[in-house]
Amino acid sequence: MNHHMRLNYTLPEGDLKLYFAALHRGDALASECSSCGDVAYPARVLCRICGSESVGWVNLSGKANVVQRVDGRNSSYALVRFTGADTLSTVALINPTSQVSTGQLSKPPADRPGLWLTLDRTLKEDAHV
Amino acid sequence: MINDVWIAGGAMTPFNRRKDGSSFRDWARVVVSGALQDAGLEARDIDGLVVASESDFFTLQLNPSALLADECGLAGVAAKRVEGGGASGHVAVQAGVADVASGLARRVMVLGLEPSASHLAGLDVGALYALSFDAWTDGMTGIDSTSLYALSALAFMERTGARHEDFARVAVRNRAHARHNPNAHLPLDISLGDVISSPVVASPYHRLDCSPLSDGAAAIILSCKADLPLLSRRRTRFRATAGATDTVRLGERTDPGFFAGKRHAANRAYKMADVTPADIDLAEVYDSYSGAQLQAIEALKLAPNVLQADRDGVFDTAGALPVNLSGGLLGQGGPVGATGVAQIMTAAFQLEGRYVGQRPARTPKLALVDTHGGIATLNCVSILESR
Repeated sequence: MNHHMRLNYTLPEGDLKLYFAALHRGDALASECSSCGDVAYPARVLCRICGSESVGWVNLSGKANVVQRVDGRNSSYALVRFTGADTLSTVALINPTSQVSTGQLSKPPADRPGLWLTLDRTLKEDAHV
Repeated sequence: MINDVWIAGGAMTPFNRRKDGSSFRDWARVVVSGALQDAGLEARDIDGLVVASESDFFTLQLNPSALLADECGLAGVAAKRVEGGGASGHVAVQAGVADVASGLARRVMVLGLEPSASHLAGLDVGALYALSFDAWTDGMTGIDSTSLYALSALAFMERTGARHEDFARVAVRNRAHARHNPNAHLPLDISLGDVISSPVVASPYHRLDCSPLSDGAAAIILSCKADLPLLSRRRTRFRATAGATDTVRLGERTDPGFFAGKRHAANRAYKMADVTPADIDLAEVYDSYSGAQLQAIEALKLAPNVLQADRDGVFDTAGALPVNLSGGLLGQGGPVGATGVAQIMTAAFQLEGRYVGQRPARTPKLALVDTHGGIATLNCVSILESR
Protein backbone atom coordinates (compact mmCIF):
# COMPACT_ATOMS: atom_id res chain seq x y z
CA MET A 1 0.00 0.00 0.00
CA ASN A 2 1.11 3.58 -0.60
CA HIS A 3 0.53 6.34 1.92
CA HIS A 4 1.25 10.02 1.31
CA MET A 5 1.76 12.54 4.08
CA ARG A 6 2.46 16.25 3.68
CA LEU A 7 3.86 18.18 6.63
CA ASN A 8 3.98 21.96 6.94
CA TYR A 9 6.31 22.97 9.73
CA THR A 10 6.54 26.28 11.50
CA LEU A 11 9.97 26.76 13.01
CA PRO A 12 9.87 29.52 15.64
CA GLU A 13 13.26 31.21 15.62
CA GLY A 14 13.28 32.01 19.33
CA ASP A 15 16.48 33.60 20.65
CA LEU A 16 18.02 33.45 17.17
CA LYS A 17 15.31 35.73 15.72
CA LEU A 18 17.72 38.63 15.10
CA TYR A 19 20.20 36.31 13.38
CA PHE A 20 17.56 34.97 11.00
CA ALA A 21 16.08 38.44 10.36
CA ALA A 22 19.53 39.67 9.32
CA LEU A 23 20.13 36.60 7.19
CA HIS A 24 16.89 37.19 5.28
CA ARG A 25 18.21 40.70 4.47
CA GLY A 26 21.50 39.19 3.30
CA ASP A 27 23.37 40.50 6.35
CA ALA A 28 25.75 38.47 8.52
CA LEU A 29 24.90 38.96 12.20
CA ALA A 30 27.19 36.89 14.41
CA SER A 31 27.12 36.22 18.13
CA GLU A 32 29.96 37.58 20.27
CA CYS A 33 30.67 36.33 23.77
CA SER A 34 31.07 39.17 26.23
CA SER A 35 33.23 36.99 28.47
CA CYS A 36 35.84 35.51 26.11
CA GLY A 37 35.17 37.43 22.90
CA ASP A 38 34.52 34.37 20.71
CA VAL A 39 32.65 35.31 17.55
CA ALA A 40 30.47 32.52 16.15
CA TYR A 41 28.77 32.46 12.76
CA PRO A 42 26.15 31.04 12.45
CA ALA A 43 25.24 32.69 15.73
CA ARG A 44 24.94 30.82 19.02
CA VAL A 45 22.93 31.57 22.14
CA LEU A 46 25.54 30.00 24.43
CA CYS A 47 29.28 30.54 23.99
CA ARG A 48 30.91 27.42 22.52
CA ILE A 49 34.23 28.22 24.21
CA CYS A 50 33.46 29.31 27.77
CA GLY A 51 29.77 28.41 28.07
CA SER A 52 28.77 31.96 28.96
CA GLU A 53 25.15 32.99 28.42
CA SER A 54 26.27 36.57 28.09
CA VAL A 55 26.29 36.68 24.32
CA GLY A 56 25.72 39.81 22.23
CA TRP A 57 25.58 40.57 18.52
CA VAL A 58 28.18 41.81 16.04
CA ASN A 59 27.74 42.66 12.35
CA LEU A 60 30.16 40.99 9.93
CA SER A 61 30.86 42.21 6.42
CA GLY A 62 29.61 38.96 4.91
CA LYS A 63 32.90 38.42 3.03
CA ALA A 64 34.28 34.89 3.36
CA ASN A 65 37.26 32.77 2.37
CA VAL A 66 36.78 29.16 1.25
CA VAL A 67 38.67 26.65 3.42
CA GLN A 68 37.32 23.36 1.99
CA ARG A 69 35.05 22.92 -0.96
CA VAL A 70 33.07 19.90 -2.16
CA ASP A 71 31.45 19.59 -5.58
CA GLY A 72 28.62 17.15 -6.16
CA ARG A 73 26.56 16.30 -9.20
CA ASN A 74 23.98 19.02 -8.70
CA SER A 75 25.30 21.26 -5.96
CA SER A 76 28.45 22.49 -4.26
CA TYR A 77 29.14 23.30 -0.65
CA ALA A 78 32.06 24.72 1.29
CA LEU A 79 33.46 25.31 4.73
CA VAL A 80 34.31 29.01 4.78
CA ARG A 81 35.57 31.54 7.28
CA PHE A 82 33.59 34.78 7.32
CA THR A 83 35.82 37.78 8.00
CA GLY A 84 35.72 38.48 11.74
CA ALA A 85 34.38 35.03 12.76
CA ASP A 86 36.29 32.54 14.89
CA THR A 87 34.27 29.60 13.57
CA LEU A 88 34.02 28.11 10.12
CA SER A 89 30.61 27.99 8.45
CA THR A 90 28.97 25.51 6.09
CA VAL A 91 27.62 27.29 3.02
CA ALA A 92 25.92 26.37 -0.22
CA LEU A 93 27.68 27.88 -3.25
CA ILE A 94 25.34 29.83 -5.54
CA ASN A 95 27.72 30.00 -8.53
CA PRO A 96 29.89 26.87 -8.27
CA THR A 97 31.33 27.31 -11.75
CA SER A 98 33.57 29.96 -10.23
CA GLN A 99 36.76 28.53 -8.76
CA VAL A 100 37.59 31.69 -6.78
CA SER A 101 38.13 31.13 -3.07
CA THR A 102 36.46 34.30 -1.83
CA GLY A 103 32.82 35.27 -1.79
CA GLN A 104 29.96 37.23 -0.25
CA LEU A 105 26.97 36.10 1.80
CA SER A 106 23.74 36.27 -0.19
CA LYS A 107 20.07 36.27 0.71
CA PRO A 108 18.82 32.70 1.12
CA PRO A 109 15.59 31.39 -0.42
CA ALA A 110 12.68 32.39 1.84
CA ASP A 111 12.05 28.84 3.04
CA ARG A 112 15.73 27.77 3.22
CA PRO A 113 17.42 30.13 5.71
CA GLY A 114 20.87 28.53 5.53
CA LEU A 115 24.06 30.29 4.50
CA TRP A 116 24.37 30.85 0.73
CA LEU A 117 27.58 32.27 -0.69
CA THR A 118 28.14 33.94 -4.03
CA LEU A 119 31.74 33.36 -5.08
CA ASP A 120 33.63 36.36 -6.46
CA ARG A 121 34.35 36.35 -10.16
CA THR A 122 37.79 36.41 -11.72
CA LEU A 123 38.68 39.02 -14.34
CA LYS A 124 38.49 36.20 -16.90
CA GLU A 125 34.98 35.28 -15.78
CA ASP A 126 33.95 38.95 -15.86
CA ALA A 127 35.24 39.19 -19.41
CA HIS A 128 33.02 36.27 -20.41
CA VAL A 129 30.03 37.93 -18.75
CA MET B 1 34.64 -1.49 34.74
CA ILE B 2 31.30 -3.08 33.99
CA ASN B 3 31.42 -6.31 35.91
CA ASP B 4 28.41 -8.40 35.14
CA VAL B 5 26.58 -7.69 31.89
CA TRP B 6 26.72 -10.52 29.37
CA ILE B 7 25.38 -11.24 25.90
CA ALA B 8 23.04 -14.21 26.14
CA GLY B 9 22.37 -14.48 22.41
CA GLY B 10 21.54 -12.62 19.25
CA ALA B 11 20.18 -12.72 15.73
CA MET B 12 19.95 -10.53 12.66
CA THR B 13 18.18 -10.48 9.33
CA PRO B 14 20.06 -10.01 6.10
CA PHE B 15 20.72 -6.30 5.47
CA ASN B 16 19.55 -5.36 1.98
CA ARG B 17 16.85 -3.53 0.06
CA ARG B 18 13.69 -5.55 0.65
CA LYS B 19 11.68 -6.39 -2.40
CA ASP B 20 9.61 -9.18 -0.85
CA GLY B 21 6.83 -7.02 0.60
CA SER B 22 7.91 -7.61 4.20
CA SER B 23 7.92 -4.78 6.74
CA PHE B 24 9.99 -3.81 9.77
CA ARG B 25 7.42 -5.55 11.96
CA ASP B 26 8.16 -8.84 10.21
CA TRP B 27 11.91 -8.38 10.58
CA ALA B 28 11.48 -7.58 14.28
CA ARG B 29 9.62 -10.85 14.90
CA VAL B 30 12.30 -12.81 13.07
CA VAL B 31 15.21 -11.42 15.08
CA VAL B 32 13.45 -11.49 18.46
CA SER B 33 12.54 -15.12 17.91
CA GLY B 34 16.06 -15.84 16.64
CA ALA B 35 17.74 -14.17 19.60
CA LEU B 36 15.56 -16.10 22.07
CA GLN B 37 16.41 -19.35 20.32
CA ASP B 38 20.11 -18.51 20.20
CA ALA B 39 20.09 -17.72 23.91
CA GLY B 40 18.03 -20.75 24.91
CA LEU B 41 15.36 -18.51 26.43
CA GLU B 42 11.59 -18.05 26.17
CA ALA B 43 9.72 -14.79 25.65
CA ARG B 44 8.52 -14.97 29.26
CA ASP B 45 12.15 -14.79 30.42
CA ILE B 46 12.50 -11.24 29.04
CA ASP B 47 11.45 -8.36 31.29
CA GLY B 48 12.90 -5.38 29.41
CA LEU B 49 12.82 -4.21 25.79
CA VAL B 50 14.90 -1.42 24.30
CA VAL B 51 14.09 -0.53 20.71
CA ALA B 52 16.47 1.41 18.47
CA SER B 53 14.94 3.23 15.53
CA GLU B 54 16.36 6.48 14.23
CA SER B 55 13.25 8.12 12.89
CA ASP B 56 9.49 7.84 13.01
CA PHE B 57 9.57 9.09 9.43
CA PHE B 58 11.04 5.76 8.35
CA THR B 59 8.63 3.52 10.26
CA LEU B 60 5.63 5.89 10.27
CA GLN B 61 5.10 4.63 13.80
CA LEU B 62 5.32 6.68 16.97
CA ASN B 63 5.74 4.80 20.24
CA PRO B 64 7.31 1.84 18.40
CA SER B 65 8.57 -0.01 21.47
CA ALA B 66 5.05 -0.70 22.77
CA LEU B 67 3.93 -1.81 19.34
CA LEU B 68 6.93 -4.11 18.89
CA ALA B 69 6.59 -5.61 22.38
CA ASP B 70 3.08 -6.54 21.37
CA GLU B 71 4.04 -7.75 17.89
CA CYS B 72 6.95 -9.86 19.14
CA GLY B 73 5.20 -11.65 21.98
CA LEU B 74 6.83 -9.55 24.68
CA ALA B 75 3.73 -7.70 25.92
CA GLY B 76 4.07 -6.86 29.58
CA VAL B 77 7.77 -6.00 29.52
CA ALA B 78 9.10 -2.57 30.44
CA ALA B 79 9.76 -0.98 27.05
CA LYS B 80 11.41 2.09 25.67
CA ARG B 81 12.76 3.42 22.39
CA VAL B 82 16.07 5.25 22.19
CA GLU B 83 17.65 7.25 19.38
CA GLY B 84 21.09 8.64 18.66
CA GLY B 85 21.24 9.14 14.90
CA GLY B 86 23.51 6.62 13.23
CA ALA B 87 24.49 5.35 16.68
CA SER B 88 20.90 4.56 17.69
CA GLY B 89 21.54 0.81 17.90
CA HIS B 90 24.62 1.23 20.05
CA VAL B 91 22.84 3.73 22.30
CA ALA B 92 20.08 1.15 22.76
CA VAL B 93 22.67 -1.43 23.77
CA GLN B 94 24.06 1.04 26.29
CA ALA B 95 20.56 1.57 27.69
CA GLY B 96 20.14 -2.19 27.98
CA VAL B 97 23.51 -2.56 29.70
CA ALA B 98 22.50 0.15 32.17
CA ASP B 99 19.19 -1.61 32.90
CA VAL B 100 20.91 -4.92 33.63
CA ALA B 101 23.83 -3.42 35.56
CA SER B 102 21.50 -1.37 37.74
CA GLY B 103 19.14 -4.24 38.41
CA LEU B 104 16.19 -2.52 36.72
CA ALA B 105 15.81 -5.61 34.56
CA ARG B 106 17.06 -9.22 34.59
CA ARG B 107 17.09 -9.93 30.88
CA VAL B 108 16.79 -7.18 28.29
CA MET B 109 16.01 -7.62 24.61
CA VAL B 110 17.75 -4.91 22.57
CA LEU B 111 16.02 -4.69 19.21
CA GLY B 112 17.34 -2.45 16.45
CA LEU B 113 15.64 -1.93 13.11
CA GLU B 114 15.26 0.51 10.28
CA PRO B 115 13.42 0.42 6.98
CA SER B 116 15.94 2.83 5.42
CA ALA B 117 15.75 1.50 1.88
CA SER B 118 12.34 0.32 0.78
CA HIS B 119 9.71 2.26 2.74
CA LEU B 120 10.60 5.75 1.44
CA ALA B 121 12.01 7.08 -1.82
CA GLY B 122 15.79 7.53 -1.77
CA LEU B 123 15.56 11.31 -2.19
CA ASP B 124 13.19 11.54 0.78
CA VAL B 125 15.56 9.46 2.93
CA GLY B 126 18.43 11.73 1.88
CA ALA B 127 16.43 14.83 2.78
CA LEU B 128 15.66 13.35 6.21
CA TYR B 129 19.30 12.42 6.84
CA ALA B 130 20.24 16.05 6.13
CA LEU B 131 18.36 16.84 9.35
CA SER B 132 20.91 14.73 11.28
CA PHE B 133 23.11 17.82 11.57
CA ASP B 134 22.11 21.31 12.75
CA ALA B 135 18.86 21.38 10.82
CA TRP B 136 18.41 25.15 11.26
CA THR B 137 21.81 26.13 9.87
CA ASP B 138 23.74 23.47 7.93
CA GLY B 139 20.54 21.59 7.13
CA MET B 140 18.84 24.65 5.61
CA THR B 141 21.48 24.82 2.86
CA GLY B 142 20.17 21.50 1.56
CA ILE B 143 23.52 19.85 2.23
CA ASP B 144 23.52 16.05 2.24
CA SER B 145 25.42 13.57 4.41
CA THR B 146 27.94 12.74 1.71
CA SER B 147 28.90 16.38 1.20
CA LEU B 148 29.37 17.00 4.92
CA TYR B 149 31.43 13.81 5.30
CA ALA B 150 33.41 14.90 2.25
CA LEU B 151 34.21 18.29 3.79
CA SER B 152 35.49 16.46 6.88
CA ALA B 153 37.44 13.99 4.75
CA LEU B 154 39.12 16.81 2.81
CA ALA B 155 40.38 18.30 6.07
CA PHE B 156 41.66 14.83 7.12
CA MET B 157 43.43 14.43 3.76
CA GLU B 158 45.02 17.85 4.02
CA ARG B 159 46.38 17.14 7.50
CA THR B 160 47.52 13.54 7.01
CA GLY B 161 48.39 13.38 3.32
CA ALA B 162 45.77 10.67 2.71
CA ARG B 163 44.88 10.11 -0.95
CA HIS B 164 41.66 8.88 -2.48
CA GLU B 165 43.45 5.59 -3.13
CA ASP B 166 43.71 5.15 0.64
CA PHE B 167 39.95 5.53 0.94
CA ALA B 168 39.34 3.23 -2.03
CA ARG B 169 41.45 0.49 -0.42
CA VAL B 170 39.03 0.47 2.54
CA ALA B 171 36.05 0.28 0.19
CA VAL B 172 37.56 -2.71 -1.62
CA ARG B 173 38.59 -4.56 1.55
CA ASN B 174 35.28 -4.17 3.38
CA ARG B 175 33.33 -5.37 0.32
CA ALA B 176 35.70 -8.36 0.11
CA HIS B 177 35.04 -9.16 3.78
CA ALA B 178 31.31 -8.93 3.07
CA ARG B 179 31.59 -11.72 0.48
CA HIS B 180 31.94 -14.18 3.40
CA ASN B 181 28.91 -12.72 5.20
CA PRO B 182 25.54 -14.25 4.22
CA ASN B 183 23.73 -11.21 5.67
CA ALA B 184 25.68 -8.62 3.70
CA HIS B 185 24.05 -6.06 1.42
CA LEU B 186 27.05 -5.43 -0.86
CA PRO B 187 29.35 -8.48 -1.09
CA LEU B 188 31.35 -7.18 -4.04
CA ASP B 189 34.48 -8.32 -5.82
CA ILE B 190 35.83 -4.92 -6.84
CA SER B 191 39.19 -3.28 -7.47
CA LEU B 192 40.70 0.07 -6.57
CA GLY B 193 40.07 1.10 -10.16
CA ASP B 194 36.38 0.24 -9.83
CA VAL B 195 36.06 2.56 -6.83
CA ILE B 196 38.05 5.38 -8.40
CA SER B 197 36.14 5.18 -11.67
CA SER B 198 32.69 4.94 -10.06
CA PRO B 199 30.61 8.14 -10.37
CA VAL B 200 31.54 11.07 -8.12
CA VAL B 201 28.88 11.75 -5.50
CA ALA B 202 30.63 14.58 -3.68
CA SER B 203 34.38 14.94 -4.17
CA PRO B 204 36.44 13.08 -2.96
CA TYR B 205 33.73 10.46 -2.45
CA HIS B 206 32.65 8.26 -5.32
CA ARG B 207 29.63 5.96 -5.28
CA LEU B 208 31.62 2.93 -4.10
CA ASP B 209 33.08 4.95 -1.20
CA CYS B 210 29.56 5.25 0.25
CA SER B 211 27.64 2.77 2.40
CA PRO B 212 24.20 1.79 1.10
CA LEU B 213 20.76 2.54 2.50
CA SER B 214 19.62 -0.82 3.88
CA ASP B 215 16.61 -2.47 5.44
CA GLY B 216 16.99 -4.89 8.32
CA ALA B 217 16.87 -5.71 12.01
CA ALA B 218 19.11 -7.17 14.72
CA ALA B 219 18.54 -8.19 18.33
CA ILE B 220 20.68 -9.21 21.28
CA ILE B 221 19.72 -10.29 24.79
CA LEU B 222 21.61 -8.94 27.80
CA SER B 223 21.67 -10.37 31.32
CA CYS B 224 23.79 -10.91 34.41
CA LYS B 225 25.85 -14.10 34.46
CA ALA B 226 23.54 -15.72 36.97
CA ASP B 227 20.62 -15.24 34.59
CA LEU B 228 22.33 -16.79 31.57
CA PRO B 229 20.94 -20.15 30.46
CA LEU B 230 23.31 -23.07 30.93
CA LEU B 231 24.87 -23.46 27.50
CA SER B 232 28.28 -24.96 26.95
CA ARG B 233 29.88 -22.24 24.89
CA ARG B 234 32.12 -19.26 25.38
CA ARG B 235 30.33 -16.13 26.52
CA THR B 236 30.90 -12.44 25.95
CA ARG B 237 30.69 -9.73 28.56
CA PHE B 238 30.98 -5.95 28.43
CA ARG B 239 34.16 -4.55 29.94
CA ALA B 240 33.16 -1.02 29.01
CA THR B 241 30.63 1.04 27.10
CA ALA B 242 31.09 4.78 26.83
CA GLY B 243 29.91 7.79 24.87
CA ALA B 244 30.83 11.36 24.04
CA THR B 245 29.57 14.12 21.77
CA ASP B 246 31.29 16.67 19.55
CA THR B 247 29.94 20.02 18.33
CA VAL B 248 27.09 19.50 15.90
CA ARG B 249 28.29 22.15 13.44
CA LEU B 250 31.36 20.92 11.57
CA GLY B 251 32.68 24.49 11.31
CA GLU B 252 32.91 24.88 15.08
CA ARG B 253 35.44 22.05 15.43
CA THR B 254 39.10 22.89 15.92
CA ASP B 255 39.91 20.41 13.14
CA PRO B 256 36.87 19.42 11.03
CA GLY B 257 38.83 16.38 9.87
CA PHE B 258 39.44 14.93 13.34
CA PHE B 259 36.79 12.95 15.22
CA ALA B 260 37.42 14.52 18.62
CA GLY B 261 34.16 13.26 20.15
CA LYS B 262 35.09 9.72 19.19
CA ARG B 263 38.51 10.19 20.78
CA HIS B 264 36.80 11.24 24.05
CA ALA B 265 34.46 8.21 23.94
CA ALA B 266 37.38 5.87 23.26
CA ASN B 267 39.46 7.29 26.08
CA ARG B 268 36.55 6.79 28.46
CA ALA B 269 36.04 3.22 27.25
CA TYR B 270 39.73 2.29 27.56
CA LYS B 271 39.82 3.72 31.08
CA MET B 272 36.61 1.97 32.09
CA ALA B 273 37.83 -1.34 30.69
CA ASP B 274 41.32 -0.86 32.14
CA VAL B 275 42.92 -1.73 28.81
CA THR B 276 45.00 0.10 26.21
CA PRO B 277 44.39 0.33 22.46
CA ALA B 278 47.22 -2.18 21.98
CA ASP B 279 45.17 -4.80 23.86
CA ILE B 280 42.39 -4.77 21.24
CA ASP B 281 42.39 -7.86 18.98
CA LEU B 282 39.50 -7.03 16.63
CA ALA B 283 37.31 -4.04 15.84
CA GLU B 284 34.00 -3.28 14.19
CA VAL B 285 34.23 0.39 13.23
CA TYR B 286 31.62 2.81 11.86
CA ASP B 287 32.49 3.14 8.17
CA SER B 288 29.58 5.07 6.71
CA TYR B 289 32.14 6.26 4.15
CA SER B 290 35.50 4.75 3.26
CA GLY B 291 37.48 7.70 4.56
CA ALA B 292 35.45 7.78 7.76
CA GLN B 293 36.89 4.35 8.67
CA LEU B 294 40.40 5.80 8.61
CA GLN B 295 39.26 8.86 10.55
CA ALA B 296 37.63 6.54 13.11
CA ILE B 297 40.68 4.31 13.52
CA GLU B 298 42.79 7.42 14.07
CA ALA B 299 40.42 8.75 16.73
CA LEU B 300 40.19 5.35 18.44
CA LYS B 301 44.01 5.29 18.73
CA LEU B 302 44.13 1.83 17.13
CA ALA B 303 47.28 2.71 15.16
CA PRO B 304 50.00 5.32 15.68
CA ASN B 305 49.92 6.12 11.94
CA VAL B 306 46.63 4.98 10.48
CA LEU B 307 47.60 5.48 6.84
CA GLN B 308 50.83 3.52 7.11
CA ALA B 309 49.13 0.78 9.11
CA ASP B 310 46.36 0.51 6.54
CA ARG B 311 48.84 0.39 3.66
CA ASP B 312 50.79 -2.32 5.55
CA GLY B 313 47.73 -4.55 5.91
CA VAL B 314 47.37 -4.24 9.69
CA PHE B 315 43.56 -4.14 9.37
CA ASP B 316 43.28 -7.08 6.96
CA THR B 317 41.91 -10.48 8.02
CA ALA B 318 45.43 -11.76 8.64
CA GLY B 319 46.68 -8.46 10.05
CA ALA B 320 47.47 -7.62 13.67
CA LEU B 321 44.11 -5.88 14.13
CA PRO B 322 41.37 -7.06 11.76
CA VAL B 323 38.76 -4.34 11.23
CA ASN B 324 35.23 -4.79 9.93
CA LEU B 325 35.40 -8.48 9.05
CA SER B 326 31.60 -8.27 8.72
CA GLY B 327 32.10 -5.89 5.82
CA GLY B 328 31.13 -2.92 7.97
CA LEU B 329 28.47 -0.53 6.76
CA LEU B 330 30.16 -0.42 3.36
CA GLY B 331 29.74 -4.16 2.85
CA GLN B 332 27.19 -5.45 5.34
CA GLY B 333 24.99 -2.39 5.03
CA GLY B 334 23.44 0.08 7.43
CA PRO B 335 19.80 -0.08 8.50
CA VAL B 336 20.43 2.63 11.07
CA GLY B 337 18.72 1.37 14.23
CA ALA B 338 20.00 -2.15 13.60
CA THR B 339 23.57 -1.18 12.77
CA GLY B 340 25.02 -0.81 16.26
CA VAL B 341 23.17 -3.87 17.55
CA ALA B 342 24.55 -5.97 14.69
CA GLN B 343 28.06 -4.61 15.27
CA ILE B 344 27.93 -5.70 18.93
CA MET B 345 26.49 -9.10 18.00
CA THR B 346 29.16 -9.61 15.33
CA ALA B 347 31.98 -8.80 17.75
CA ALA B 348 30.49 -11.11 20.40
CA PHE B 349 30.13 -13.99 17.98
CA GLN B 350 33.72 -13.45 16.82
CA LEU B 351 34.92 -13.62 20.42
CA GLU B 352 32.86 -16.76 20.98
CA GLY B 353 34.34 -18.35 17.85
CA ARG B 354 30.97 -18.83 16.16
CA TYR B 355 30.76 -15.96 13.67
CA VAL B 356 29.41 -17.14 10.31
CA GLY B 357 31.45 -14.79 8.12
CA GLN B 358 35.12 -13.93 7.80
CA ARG B 359 37.11 -15.00 10.91
CA PRO B 360 40.43 -13.61 12.09
CA ALA B 361 43.61 -15.66 11.83
CA ARG B 362 43.81 -15.97 15.60
CA THR B 363 40.96 -16.11 18.12
CA PRO B 364 40.39 -12.65 19.59
CA LYS B 365 40.03 -12.01 23.32
CA LEU B 366 39.09 -8.34 23.31
CA ALA B 367 36.98 -6.58 20.69
CA LEU B 368 36.15 -2.91 20.23
CA VAL B 369 32.89 -1.71 18.68
CA ASP B 370 32.53 1.88 17.47
CA THR B 371 29.39 3.62 16.20
CA HIS B 372 28.48 7.23 15.62
CA GLY B 373 25.71 9.57 14.57
CA GLY B 374 26.17 12.79 12.58
CA ILE B 375 29.77 13.42 11.51
CA ALA B 376 31.07 11.55 14.57
CA THR B 377 28.90 13.92 16.59
CA LEU B 378 27.33 11.37 18.95
CA ASN B 379 29.81 8.57 19.60
CA CYS B 380 29.58 5.18 21.31
CA VAL B 381 32.48 2.84 22.02
CA SER B 382 32.17 -0.57 23.70
CA ILE B 383 34.87 -3.05 24.63
CA LEU B 384 33.85 -6.71 24.82
CA GLU B 385 35.68 -9.68 26.29
CA SER B 386 35.15 -13.42 25.91
CA ARG B 387 35.25 -15.80 28.84
